[in-house]
Amino acid sequence: MDEHDLWIRNHVYRRFVELGRAPTFAELNDELGDDAEPALRRLHDAHALVLEADRPEIRMANPFSAVPTPYRVEADGRSWYANCAWDAFGIPAALHVDGHVSSSCPYCGTAIEIDVADGSPIPAEYVFHVVVPAAHWWDDIAFT
Amino acid sequence: MNLFRSEEHAGLWLEQNGYQPGATIGAQKLGELAQAWWSDRLAPDWRPHTREQNQAILDRLALTGSFWQLP
Repeated sequence: MDEHDLWIRNHVYRRFVELGRAPTFAELNDELGDDAEPALRRLHDAHALVLEADRPEIRMANPFSAVPTPYRVEADGRSWYANCAWDAFGIPAALHVDGHVSSSCPYCGTAIEIDVADGSPIPAEYVFHVVVPAAHWWDDIAFT
Repeated sequence: MNLFRSEEHAGLWLEQNGYQPGATIGAQKLGELAQAWWSDRLAPDWRPHTREQNQAILDRLALTGSFWQLP
């Protein structure tokens, strides 16, 4: 991952924020040219973003998710899906704004609505569970 | 990595799905973790965190022990 790759990575993140969704590969190819695909693959290999398994489309630009998930985040007048609960709190953190996380308890289905103000959840009564030990998060980043 | 209504519901969900328990923390600590982990993610001069930087974040939040050891 060189400086040019980092520039492309930053472009992907900037577009993700602007669009409220992942930029498509076709859009990135138009904007960045033929350099886009090999750079995206190097960024994927370096865990700087995550591509779909079978094509060079963005799946994750952590904390943002390109696909719908149980974690919807509103912040700065827009909304995105987050990859997981940690990432849901990470979107307001990355944007340096307050936000709101909407989800539901995976066990009982009760709606979970949390405001994030100055980085703190309101209410703070919910709990966060990680199944996979940190050493194995990248074995399958879609299940942690 | 999920949010649950309570620790009890996290335990019941693990049991229901046949998963071994991992680690549970409160939402307040998750907020602190997210701030430390993600707040530089959109900075124009962003550089990947090193393993040591990320481990230091976990350590600072007392997320220690073998479960929280990065590879």
